[in-house]
Amino acid sequence: MYPPKLDKIINLFEMLPEVERRETLVSYADGAKNQEPRPGEGFDLEDVRKDEECADTVGVYLQVDDQGKAHFRMTLGPEVQTLTRAMTAILCKGLDGVTPQDVLDLPSDFVTRIVGAELVRVRSQTTYYILTRMKGICKVYLDRQRQTAQVAELAAGTTALHLGS
Amino acid sequence: MTSQPTSYAHPEALVETDWLAEHAGDKGIRIIESNEDILLYDSGHIPAAVHIDWRSDLQDPLIRDYITPEKFAELCRRNGITPETTCIFYGDKANWWATYALWAFRLFGHTNVKVLNGGRDKWKAEGRSMTREVPKYPASNYPIPAKRLDKEIRAFADDARAQSTAGKPLIDVRSPGEFKGEITHMPEYPQEGVLRGGHIPGAKSVPWKTAANDDGTFKSAAELAKIYREGCGLSSDEPTIVYCRIGERSSHTWFVLTYLLGLDNVRNYDGSWTEWGNRVGMPIERSV
Repeated sequence: MYPPKLDKIINLFEMLPEVERRETLVSYADGAKNQEPRPGEGFDLEDVRKDEECADTVGVYLQVDDQGKAHFRMTLGPEVQTLTRAMTAILCKGLDGVTPQDVLDLPSDFVTRIVGAELVRVRSQTTYYILTRMKGICKVYLDRQRQTAQVAELAAGTTALHLGS
Repeated sequence: MTSQPTSYAHPEALVETDWLAEHAGDKGIRIIESNEDILLYDSGHIPAAVHIDWRSDLQDPLIRDYITPEKFAELCRRNGITPETTCIFYGDKANWWATYALWAFRLFGHTNVKVLNGGRDKWKAEGRSMTREVPKYPASNYPIPAKRLDKEIRAFADDARAQSTAGKPLIDVRSPGEFKGEITHMPEYPQEGVLRGGHIPGAKSVPWKTAANDDGTFKSAAELAKIYREGCGLSSDEPTIVYCRIGERSSHTWFVLTYLLGLDNVRNYDGSWTEWGNRVGMPIERSV
C-alpha cells in the first residue's frame, strides 16, 4: 500500500502516545537540515520558491537514478514551521527510492496517521504542504519525460518517413 | 499640541527579558507560551514555561467560540494557576498569540496578566536558556469564573455594525492589502476562508505592526500615543473596537490600547473578517 520505508514510519507513529508522537515529530524536525543538498550532488529538477501556503521559502530537489528511483533533497527557510520541517524529514526518508509515479499516486491519508488527528485539525494548512510540493516536482518531471519521449517518437517517425521516401 | 506620555499607562503589564530571566522561578508566577507554530514549544521553551494553545486549549472544538468557564477553570487547574497567579505570556510572531491568550484569560476575569516584551524571538536572540523539559505543577483549585466577560472586552458582529453605523472608532489591524480588499488573508498565507474582501465601513487601517519595533518589542508610549491618539483620534471618551481576520492580530492592538495607552472600553471583535466577510448582507467598503 505505502512504500516500505514510509510504512515503517507510519507504523512507528501510530504506536506512540501523543506526548511521544510530538517528541518524535520535533526530533524529525531537528533532522530536517540533514536533507539539504550535499556538495557535488546533481539534480534532474530543482524547485525553490516561496508559496503563500508556507511561512518561508522551501526548495525541493529531485534526482532520479538509472533505475528510475527518486531521491529528494530539501532546503527550508528559517521561518518554516516545526511541523513542516518534521514532514520534510519524514517524507525525504519515507519516499526515498520510490518512483516519481509512486509519489504522484500516493494517497495523502497517511499524514493524519503520522501527525495525529488533533494536529491536523488545528493546523491543517501546514501538514500537507511538503507532500504537495514533492508531488508537484514529480509531476513536472514525468510531464517532461513524456514530452521528451513524444519528441523522440516524432523524430523517429519523421526519420522513418524520410528513409521510406 | 498634545503632550506625549513618557511612560506606558500600565507599565506593570510588561516584563523585560532581563527581569524574566531573574524571576522565572518565582512563586506566584506562571510563564505561558502561546504560538502560531504548534510544535515550537515542544522544540524548546523558556524554563518553567507551560504551553497553552490558542486553538486546542482556548477554543471550543465544535462551536466557533471560546471554552466555557468550567473548561477555563480546568485549564488553569492543570497548569497550577490560581486567581492570584501572575500569568506572563510570550510567544512567536511578536506575541500575536500570546496577547490573544492573554485577552482570552481576561475574558474569564483573570486580571493578573503580563506580556514578555519582544516575546520568544527576543529571548532566543539574546541567547537565553531554553529547555525541552515540560514542567509539572501541582493542580490548583481555580474556581469556575461566574461568567465570561463577553460584554466588557469582546465585540460581536452586531456591536461592530452598530459602531460602524454610529461612526465610532473601528480599527482594522490587518495588512493594507487585506484592508483594501485585494487579498483576504495576510500576505504569505493561504487566501482561504473568506468570500469577500474589504473592510467594515468607516474602519481605519492601522496594521498591528505599527505598534511594534523590528525586534518585536512594543514602541514607546509617545510613539503609540502619536499613532493611536493623534493619528486615529482614539480616546477613552468613545468606545473602540479592533478587529483583524480571526482576532489574534487585533489582540495585540487591544493590548496596546488597553494596557500601554490606558484607553477604557476597548473591545476585540474576534469574529473579525472571517465572520464579517462571509456573513450575508454585511456592508463592505473597499478602497483603492
